[in-house]
Amino acid sequence: MGLSEHIVMRELDIPAINDFSVYRQHDGWEAFADALRTKTPADVVNMVKEAGLRGRGGAGFPTGVKWGFLPKGVYPRYLLCNCDESEPGTFNNHQIIDRNPHQLIEGVAISAFAIESHTAFIYMRGEFAAAAITVERAIAQAYQAGFLGKNILGTGYDLDIYVHRGAGAYICGEETALMESLEGKIGQPRLKPPFPAVAGLYGKPTIINNVETLTNVPRILARGVAWYRSHGTEKSPGTKCFSLSGHVNRPGNYEIPFGVPLRELIESPEYGGGMRGGRPVKIIIPGGASAPWLTREHLDLPLDYESVAAAGSMLGSGAVIVLNDTVSAPHLAYKMDEFFKHESCGKCTPCREGTHWLVRVLHRMAEEGHAHPEDIPTLHGIYTQMAGNCFCLLGESAVMPIKSALRLFPQEFEAIVRQSQNGHAGKPRPAAAQHAIPLGLASRR
Amino acid sequence: MLLDTHASEIETILGRYASRRSAVLPLLYLAQDTYGHLNDAAIREVAAILDLPATDVFEVVGFYTLFYNRPVGTWVLQVCDDVPCCYLGAEELVAALKQSLGIQEEQTTPDGMFTLQRVKCLAACDRAPVLQANLDYVYDVTAERVEALLTHLRERAAEARKRGVSGRFAEDYAFGADGRPLRLEREAPYTPRVFTPVPPPPEPAPMAPPEAGTEAESGERRVSPL
Repeated sequence: MGLSEHIVMRELDIPAINDFSVYRQHDGWEAFADALRTKTPADVVNMVKEAGLRGRGGAGFPTGVKWGFLPKGVYPRYLLCNCDESEPGTFNNHQIIDRNPHQLIEGVAISAFAIESHTAFIYMRGEFAAAAITVERAIAQAYQAGFLGKNILGTGYDLDIYVHRGAGAYICGEETALMESLEGKIGQPRLKPPFPAVAGLYGKPTIINNVETLTNVPRILARGVAWYRSHGTEKSPGTKCFSLSGHVNRPGNYEIPFGVPLRELIESPEYGGGMRGGRPVKIIIPGGASAPWLTREHLDLPLDYESVAAAGSMLGSGAVIVLNDTVSAPHLAYKMDEFFKHESCGKCTPCREGTHWLVRVLHRMAEEGHAHPEDIPTLHGIYTQMAGNCFCLLGESAVMPIKSALRLFPQEFEAIVRQSQNGHAGKPRPAAAQHAIPLGLASRR
Repeated sequence: MLLDTHASEIETILGRYASRRSAVLPLLYLAQDTYGHLNDAAIREVAAILDLPATDVFEVVGFYTLFYNRPVGTWVLQVCDDVPCCYLGAEELVAALKQSLGIQEEQTTPDGMFTLQRVKCLAACDRAPVLQANLDYVYDVTAERVEALLTHLRERAAEARKRGVSGRFAEDYAFGADGRPLRLEREAPYTPRVFTPVPPPPEPAPMAPPEAGTEAESGERRVSPL
């Protein structure tokens, strides 16, 4: 059951849509021109609200409602496009900016008009270096054609859009850390409130939306609310670009309506094409590294925000990582928490120290095969002290892999302890490292 | 000095922001490409251009992973070893690179050609294993493609020195049918990828990461330019 028409990944329907003239031939920039000529900013906000567009970056918050939080009469306002896509398994923004950049830029322009902003930044992770060149060229073409700059299409509306490259820090995808980074500082999150809508970039009212969210906007205006709502479910209208990766035959981005079962995404010949070599599914991470894990018993779960949440996980960014039975749960927890440890900004103690100690214990267990009976309660203790105590969601997210692994596969941790106690431990360890975790200050690696 | 060699570029960058400090990251990239890496003098020069205390800029260089405050090779190879790459051949890739280059992670070859690093997710999980060479993506780099890649990069050494390590002129690569790296045309129309089915593995590998060889099938996937 493929889409008859893609909303975001339109390169599948129109192969050269990354070319400015082709984008124009397919009504590109017409939604923006029409909005400038015939609509007020409030009209655009209402359309996006009625369409039920929800933020695709992870939280699923209604976009139009978010726009409505801006305080009245306070200017200038800024629009930021979050393209700091860095969470393991997440890669749809990368394809959008590579293959359909003009629609993103038109989406930024329409959204900036809707919130009465005259400056927008696309904050792109530093590793998207080639794609940054693509997007900058697309922006230059829009300026040349008169869709950006001063007095656009003679309507008196001015708008500048700039690409700002980060420099390698996952935390800058957190909205307030992104603003810190854009202000030239290290990417550490700010205390909320005040929320960005009230005091964001340079202390001014600021809206931050994800790439996929903004790329939806031109189609909502062009095709209308009813058409948009004819896709997906009542509470999650539209489509989602799922990034499918891991041990499937056809990893890739697949744009499907919300509500399609997980099994169909993994097994359909149009999408995942089944598991590599026919091996069984063991672990499914449905929404990026911070989503609690699912197992094969969840294969019939519909992929929408509510259903995945009801199953105890979250749809998040739509990064579906599917792993087979060769993957050990302690090792996966170790790799995931190593990611969070590496990306912890160091601002708050529970996250900085918690991820550090989780990784120390998990590395010893999963990589070296050495464990003590007290390791399992220690791991429970570390994540319990982190949960609810971290400054931002990064630390909270780091709880999920280890908590999931211990809940779903406790026997794998117990087996490592048992083998270790029986003297069947894996690799020899250096003498200095053979004791349980020392209390007090540890020397950081 | 950067203000002499890149005056108009710096002016353009400063023009984007309501605060000069916002130009720290772009100017550090510029300095890094001009001087090879960010030594103390380069960092102080950026601070002076932006009227910032040098400490503020040193702090930024220390925080972000794409700024190098010590000399690096002509090519900085950054291999993703995160989930899911680590279960799809990334460990084998790192091992093959270490073997071929004779260095460990965070080291540079004696000829100054390659620096090897492990990095976290590069947002190209569908093309695993993946690495970046001076921020040029190289997709589907299985261990058996390492020699072809290194040969290709050595041939492009002069170009790499001219472009710098910060990706300001980056391009992306995959492997062509002849097994050599192939530059992806960014203006080309989108072509959906072609997949060939993976046959069942000969022997189950119960522990992760899989032993070298069990993932060799992944190299069989035909790669078409994006």
